[in-house]
Formats: sequence, structure tokens, C-alpha cells
Amino acid sequence: MNNIIQELRAKRNWSQMELANRLDVSRQTINALERGRYDPSLPLAFKIARVFGLAIEEIFVPDATE
Amino acid sequence: MPHTTRLSIVRPWLPFVLSMLGYIVVLIISLRVLAQGIPDGAMRVTISLAPMVPALFLGWSILSLIRSLDEMHRRLQLEAFALAFAGTALVTFSYGFLENAGFPKLTAFTVWPLMCGFWIVGVVMGRLRYR
Repeated sequence: MNNIIQELRAKRNWSQMELANRLDVSRQTINALERGRYDPSLPLAFKIARVFGLAIEEIFVPDATE
Repeated sequence: MPHTTRLSIVRPWLPFVLSMLGYIVVLIISLRVLAQGIPDGAMRVTISLAPMVPALFLGWSILSLIRSLDEMHRRLQLEAFALAFAGTALVTFSYGFLENAGFPKLTAFTVWPLMCGFWIVGVVMGRLRYR
């Protein structure tokens, strides 16, 4: 699954640590999410959407194969 | 909004560190008392098993640590534990069968370091996978 978390974070001038604190996860998890190495659970995806004030489907885009 | 501070990083590790210190202290005392020549019987068994009391707290502190992790790190740990579980089973069963072929008998103390080694490999693999 692809996402635009890095782009949204950059627009707000947040560091990975700042976003991690807002989501109550580690900085490594933010890094893995941004690189597409880890797909979040549904509760975390909702939390991410809430932090950015967007809908989940505006942030996460399934791969062509999904 | 929770903030990551030095204290928030250190706090989840405190029960683990204290339990480990307790284990080391009780183990040293237990070995020294046993070396003084306690006769076989209930007292010797009790003193021999004494380090397992702080070890129980150690187990509880590791569970607490796992519960304090975020979802990605919990998945990483699950995969590392799965590797350790399967790897240890493969090695210990293989060696058990080799003992039937005349290989020397090993103490049960060798099992946990082996499992720990597989767990470390699993954590490193997970960190590379999710970095």
C-alpha cells in the first residue's frame, strides 16, 4: 500500500519525531510507514487521518496488485 | 499529546533492569551458599531455585515491555520470537536425535542462549526489513 504521509508531514514542517509523538508511536514506525515498509492497522490509519484532517483514502492508496 | 522524553524511554525498562539486578544478586548469593556445602534435600533445592523468584519478575517485566511497544515493533518482536521458537525447536530436536547416535549429552542450560541467539537474529532481520 502506498501513502502520502511524508508529503503531508513535510507540508506541515513536522519532523518524524513530532509526528510520532502525535500518533503515540516510535520514530522508526513513522519511517517504515513513509517508506511503505509497514502498513498500519485500521485504528492507526484512522489516527493518521485524524492528525492530518483527511479521510483515510486520501492518504493511503492500494497498490495496483491489491 | 504524548512526548518522547528521556524519562519516557527509560521508564518502561526500569522493572526489567531491577529484576535483572535482583536475579544477579540472588544467583550470586545462592551459588555462594550452595558452595558452603548445604546437604541434599529440601533446603538445597530451595536455595538452588531461589534465583527463579526474581526471574519470574523478569518474565513479567519483559511482558510489560512488549505491551509498551507500538504495533510495528510488536509485529517485529512476534516475527523474532517465531524465528527463535522454530529455530530452537529445529536445533534441539536435531541434536536430540544426534545424541541417539552417540553425540555427548548437553545440559538444558544450552537451550535458552540458543533461543536468545535466534531472537537477536530475528530482531536484526526485522529492523532491516522495517527500516
